[in-house]
Amino acid sequence: MTLAFWVAGSILAAAAMIGIVRVLTARDAATRAVVGDLVFFSCICILALFGARYASSVSVDLALLASILGILATIALARIITRGQR
Amino acid sequence: MIVLEFLAGTLAIVGALLFLSVAIAQFRARDALSRINALGPATALGAPMLVLAVAIGRSLEQGLDWMLWIKTAITIVALVVVSSVASNVLARATCRSDAAVDEATHPNDLRSSQ
Repeated sequence: MTLAFWVAGSILAAAAMIGIVRVLTARDAATRAVVGDLVFFSCICILALFGARYASSVSVDLALLASILGILATIALARIITRGQR
Repeated sequence: MIVLEFLAGTLAIVGALLFLSVAIAQFRARDALSRINALGPATALGAPMLVLAVAIGRSLEQGLDWMLWIKTAITIVALVVVSSVASNVLARATCRSDAAVDEATHPNDLRSSQ
């Protein structure tokens, strides 16, 4: 199981790297917002796996707060894209 | 016990592969709307799988802790509900804004209403 968590963590790190490259090559703001969301979630899952491996309970709380509050950045970016209109 | 360990490992690896496939899909999708669509499997399926794998992994090592499972349930519900709301808001903003949308997107009432 420990090996599986390490393999999953490295796959997630690769996904985050691909996401960052995608953000750099994105042309419009909506794509950057979407891929930013993807990178955010893969980093949260990496931290959760890290917390499981080193028995720190803060990672479960982190995943909880991130999944509830973390999406506000995406909604804020959506509001920026439409120049403040609803 | 071995079955639970195997289950946690499989959930973690499948969830991570979902993230990887979505990251690659961001390159293949042609416009922003289909990229928002492609984000679904990662946040609504990959992340809950990983959170579940972490919860199983911790329960195996630290014993059963009810608070952990309550937090995991809330996290999974939040992941499914909140991320789809955010994707919906972002897709609506993309339709309204000047982002390049596939020409097959008919009718686009949001954009024509400006």
